[in-house]
Amino acid sequence: MIGSEYLALIGVIAIVALAITIFSKMQRISQLQSLIDNLKKSLDEMDEQAKLVVRTDLELNKTQEELDKKVTGLYALQSLSRAISTTLEENQILSMIEVSYLEDLGFEKSCGFLWEDRISAFQCYINIGYSDDEIEEIQSTINADKERYSDLIKNQATLSSTSLAVEPDLRDKINEIFKVTSFVISPILPKEGSKGFLFVGTEKVDTLVTEGDEELITILSNQLGQALENARLFEKTWQAHQELEKRVEQRTRELTLALEEVKRISKRKTDFVSSVSHELRTPLTSVKGYASILLTEKLGVLPQEVKLRIEKINRHSDELAQLVNDLLDISRIESGRVTMKAEQKDLKKIAEEVGELLSVQLKDRQIELIIDMPGDATAAAVDASQIKRVFINIIGNALKFTPPKGKITISSYKTGKNIQVDINDTGCGIPEEAREAIFEEFYRVDNTINESVKGTGLGLALVKHIIEAHKGKIWVTSKVGAGSTFSFTLPQEV
Amino acid sequence: MAIQVGIGSSTQKDSILAAKEAVSEARLKIGNAKADLAIVFSSIDLSGTPLLKTISNYLSGIRVLGCSGAAIISNRGIFKHGLVIMLLSHSQGVYFNTGLVKNIMERSAVQAGEELGENLLHGFQGIRRDLSVMFSDGLIESSSDLISGLQERVGVSFPLAGASAADNLAFKKTYIYFDQEIISNAACGILWGGKLNFGLGTKHGWKPLGKPRKVTKASGNIINEIDNAPAIRIYEDYLAMDTAELKNELKRISILYPIGIYLPGEEEFLLRNLFSIEDNGSIVLQGNVPQNSQIRLMIGTKETCLAATHQAIEEVKKGLSGRPCNFVLVFDSISRYILLGRQAGKELEIIKEHLGKDTPIIGLCTYGEQAPLRSINYLGKTYFQNQTITIVAIGG
Repeated sequence: MIGSEYLALIGVIAIVALAITIFSKMQRISQLQSLIDNLKKSLDEMDEQAKLVVRTDLELNKTQEELDKKVTGLYALQSLSRAISTTLEENQILSMIEVSYLEDLGFEKSCGFLWEDRISAFQCYINIGYSDDEIEEIQSTINADKERYSDLIKNQATLSSTSLAVEPDLRDKINEIFKVTSFVISPILPKEGSKGFLFVGTEKVDTLVTEGDEELITILSNQLGQALENARLFEKTWQAHQELEKRVEQRTRELTLALEEVKRISKRKTDFVSSVSHELRTPLTSVKGYASILLTEKLGVLPQEVKLRIEKINRHSDELAQLVNDLLDISRIESGRVTMKAEQKDLKKIAEEVGELLSVQLKDRQIELIIDMPGDATAAAVDASQIKRVFINIIGNALKFTPPKGKITISSYKTGKNIQVDINDTGCGIPEEAREAIFEEFYRVDNTINESVKGTGLGLALVKHIIEAHKGKIWVTSKVGAGSTFSFTLPQEV
Repeated sequence: MAIQVGIGSSTQKDSILAAKEAVSEARLKIGNAKADLAIVFSSIDLSGTPLLKTISNYLSGIRVLGCSGAAIISNRGIFKHGLVIMLLSHSQGVYFNTGLVKNIMERSAVQAGEELGENLLHGFQGIRRDLSVMFSDGLIESSSDLISGLQERVGVSFPLAGASAADNLAFKKTYIYFDQEIISNAACGILWGGKLNFGLGTKHGWKPLGKPRKVTKASGNIINEIDNAPAIRIYEDYLAMDTAELKNELKRISILYPIGIYLPGEEEFLLRNLFSIEDNGSIVLQGNVPQNSQIRLMIGTKETCLAATHQAIEEVKKGLSGRPCNFVLVFDSISRYILLGRQAGKELEIIKEHLGKDTPIIGLCTYGEQAPLRSINYLGKTYFQNQTITIVAIGG
């Protein structure tokens, strides 16, 4: 009995314990189920958040892509502009558009057409991404509808598959002709010569042409137009330049020939003068000799009338001898038979010697000679005897043309590697039109003094030859009635 | 003695001129060493018989192989148009063999892979196998099977790396180069053995996002259903777009948000690019997805992408164990090139920074990469992958 009660109690306890365990397990299951539900819910929530992340990420990527595309496009445009501006050859300009640039601009096909007056049709000059057959077909199609493309040039407007959304038929037709899905067409408008248009397109179905694309291609076609214009202007200028060059060459050739002729004639003249002068000197010496003998009256007393005539013969013979000597000197210098024996000399000393030589004439004519040559501007590399002749001739002339109580001033100073000597007088001056000519042979200024004063017209010509033989220059400045200044330069050193 | 290397490149538009320029430069760089192998990558615009004829004429007797790429990579940079060629002169004790298989789509890809494996093993008896590199047509849909077939023959004790050829994103035609042949629907490869030192690294940088999903119906590279719903629903839900909008945005979505396959035992998700969307809501991917596999939607950014490049380089360095490398092969997904945009050159900078700025580098932007998910603790399986940068540094 006790045993059965005990067993019953154990059974009750076991049942209670089992119930508790079951209850506890059920509670645990319920908790786990709740946890699973929560986890599932969290996972679903996380998945929803993931969806938001993906959508935001996609938008961000699209924006980034667009930005990248624009930056790349701008870089490509910059590189293209630089490349285009490096040439002035019309054909090279158009060939600068390369596939890599085009791809950076977001397209892979391009063609460029220019209107050719010669054939009254559009001619293709750029082809990227099309076979020869394809481009020929496109060209034929364009020329069959040339008014439409001429209008595009006339309207100066850029068209694109986006801007033509309002004219889907035209857009689709262009897509079909050029075998693309999106495109931009922009006119090429140089001011000079034939105009045309640039086409760029893509076959990619996911590419949408934006306003930014249109702007970039418009800038590119404008630059092409500008570059073509520059090339054409350059070509024109170059042609004109070539023509000018040709003319200059022709004229130079003619002038060279003329100069040769002048040199030849001048040489003949010099030879002639030289030989005539030589031939004249022999009889002149005889004439002068006989006249001098006659004048001594050793051969008999001369009647007064005869003596006067012979004195004239004697004097004129001297003048003629002087003329012949001057002519011979000029011809010698011209022909190079006389070279200047340049040595370091003091120009002031030479000037003083000449002043001494002419002191009687200076005194007779009451003309003051002033030598104002500072010590540091007198040394020159010269042939002293020849330079002495220069001073004699110039001061002699000044003496002739300076009225009494006038002044002749000799001054000098350094000019670079040269010494410049100025010989100024207070004479009658030289008219402007004669200032160049006085250095020519036999030229004499047409004035009253020259009519009364004798001269050969060779003095200044000889002076010029001597100065130039020293690699110097000579010129005159003058004011009629106020005087003249003869200036010449001589090298300081050999 | 190390493998002698000469690298040349050209961006000339004319394929013959480009070939002459690149070959001349490569020959100059390799100097007096006798080249015995040439690896060539070019953009699709240069792909053509004249290119390979010119190269072969200049390099008579040397085996030439390579493929077309969406962009080419050399020390000078990444170029969308151009050609790069690497001449190799192998050192004593390093052996290589090359092989080609054609008409892959006309038969089982596994069978084609096996044929390529057999070709590669020809004359390789008794030689330790170290590394295999493969180039395959980027438009064949059964790249995973091709790899399986190849590994079936050559073995899984060593890694396989490779690239799927590409065109200019037109997805029309891609080419394999083998001697003077330029072929589509084909694959070629190199098997190196003997005593080759190398480091291999492959990473993508995409991270899983959202709930794990299960592929409830799939066949080959087509997923019909995910969680018993049309597969496209995953993209519709996450991106709030209808199928038409998704089709318009396909390229962008494919690059940014690929499907990641969870592989037990692997740290990384295996990525699959979205190739197309079918009218019944199925999605076509670049590479197989096994039925019942767990998948996630993946997300990548420029930063995670570049961080992955660093990680890949670290793996390469571990593989090299401090030994110098003579040249580097880079197989970089075109998706990364597009995602990185103006920063695309940074990947090359990272490689140069770690492996030496003057180390010859040759590579291409691919439509897919073949590589194990990890090279350190390699588990004997190579995968067809998307979105990765696969770097092979060879030390001779």
